[in-house]
Amino acid sequence: MSAAQVDFGSPQPPAGAGRKRQAARAVPAPRPHPRLAGAAVVLAGAGLGAVAALTITGESAGQLSAPGGLLTFAGSLTGMVGTYLALVMVLLVSRIPLIERVAGQDGLVRWHRALAPWPISLIAAHALLLTLGYAEAARSGFWHELGVLLNRYPDVPTATAALGIMCLIGVISVRAVRLRLTRETWWLIHLWMYLALAISFAHVIVLGPAFVGHPLTRLVWSLCWAGTAGLVLCYRFGLPVLRSLRHRLTVAEVRAEGPGVVSVILAGRHLDRLAVSGGQFFLWRFLTPGMWWQAHPYSMSALPQPPYLRLTVKGRGDHSRALARLRPGTKVAIEGPYGAFTTYAQQRPKALLVAGGIGVTALRSLLEDLPRGSAPVVVLRATRAEDLVLAPEVRELVRHRRGKIHELTGPRDQAAIDPVSLPRLVPDLQYRDVYVSGPEGFVADVVEVARTLGVPDESIHHEAFAL
Amino acid sequence: MTKAPWLMVAGAVAGFLGVLGLHKPATPASGATPGAAGGQASSPSASSAGSGPAGPVTTTGPAATVTGPTEQYGYGELAVRVTIRGSRITGLTVPLIRTAEPFSQQLASQVIPVLRNEVLSAQGTNINAVSGATYTSQAYATSVQAALDQLHFK
Repeated sequence: MSAAQVDFGSPQPPAGAGRKRQAARAVPAPRPHPRLAGAAVVLAGAGLGAVAALTITGESAGQLSAPGGLLTFAGSLTGMVGTYLALVMVLLVSRIPLIERVAGQDGLVRWHRALAPWPISLIAAHALLLTLGYAEAARSGFWHELGVLLNRYPDVPTATAALGIMCLIGVISVRAVRLRLTRETWWLIHLWMYLALAISFAHVIVLGPAFVGHPLTRLVWSLCWAGTAGLVLCYRFGLPVLRSLRHRLTVAEVRAEGPGVVSVILAGRHLDRLAVSGGQFFLWRFLTPGMWWQAHPYSMSALPQPPYLRLTVKGRGDHSRALARLRPGTKVAIEGPYGAFTTYAQQRPKALLVAGGIGVTALRSLLEDLPRGSAPVVVLRATRAEDLVLAPEVRELVRHRRGKIHELTGPRDQAAIDPVSLPRLVPDLQYRDVYVSGPEGFVADVVEVARTLGVPDESIHHEAFAL
Repeated sequence: MTKAPWLMVAGAVAGFLGVLGLHKPATPASGATPGAAGGQASSPSASSAGSGPAGPVTTTGPAATVTGPTEQYGYGELAVRVTIRGSRITGLTVPLIRTAEPFSQQLASQVIPVLRNEVLSAQGTNINAVSGATYTSQAYATSVQAALDQLHFK
């Protein structure tokens, strides 16, 4: 069967419509369990409290009143809390499915970003405070003590190198700097954080007052870090490799969908057993000489139709433009599926789906998971009519589900989605969950409009496509 | 996940109190168990550099000196040389101390004279650990006790 024979363009009727579709349809992604994710949050908090308490119990009143005692204590506390937060940062991007299914990849990355300034500044403060504290205790100066620390303390030179790496990563992650770097450069430097954490581990265990003379604390701390490293290896490396080997995806066809927009159709094995829900995305790694080393997130623009899988991409960066030149037969590795932008998240009886521009891809596959008669309202928004890609497919899917579709084109001020226009398009908004996908700015605006109109946060779901 | 911040705060409080509750307060150095390795007996010559008895001296019998075993503690290792004369501990010196880093070295140099005075006035190792130097105090007391045992002191 050649790729030309597969027709994602005339979508199958929804489940239960009488056609034998279930046999070929991929299994849905496992159900999210918010309680388990809640338990993980409690555990993360407990770790934070425990680390603070361990530092305090490692100290005594005599030490605090000694010269430099307060500074040294503050140095220990900032170091311990900062290092613990660094561990949480790593866990947040380790793609643990249990948590990812509830919070979504973008939610976890948001937390990771929000938390990021803390570990780096606390660890920098730790180095500064301890140097000052030791200098005061030894009645010497800051620079002299710094020399002593670097020359005569075991594992401190490597920890200092690690601090240098962390500060560099902190600087390149500041928005103004980050925007000047390519995504690839930024990501490669960002990876050094694993090295920094690994080489700074020894000085914590060898010198930390909470660890020296406390073999049990040492053991637990080491197990926590080993466990985290294991999770990262398992979910960021092992699982994607296994999945890629199992499904052996190759490019079957590249199709133009609109101005600068292409669909890539992949063929693979066992896609009927790939557990994925509409609205989810994968990190795709196209194994060509120029692209193999980077994985990029793109939504599926349709549920798998074994043996085929489709993604649709707008050419904005170097990578997405290069997709148009992919040759059939190119091997593709996948990581995922990720994303909580699925029907599992729905709280109210009906749904409103809003997409801006290329955000239609996630909406298109999500729509497939909505049952017959679910009467969704779909709003597609684009600046030009020709940018409304996949619109015929969306119309067809909406019609099968007895829903309504509104296609808005034109400049922002003329075809706006605002607190006045949206209730006109969707009079029964109070019975609907709002799903928004599209560029970051568009998503933020629509989420704000939905909040203004009284839609509770649990009923607003979004998937932002970073530029 | 709108409740996430509250869950995290609740977890933090629980974790903090949990560790405080499980924590055992630092044990005093008294009743320290002697190290497994025996000390090396040296010739019974006085080896004290400025060591003097603290109480009234009842010096009957010859002086005997033994170096206690090298005790490892978290930030280093040390051994104490003990001199007794009759039923009195009359001299304590530290012929060996190695620490992981300068801060501990400096701390030890402040703490060892204090510990020495404590042992001399208590005439035994039933002493209090110096606050902020619990491990050094424990290692010191352990090494002294092992030396005393070898000297069949009391």
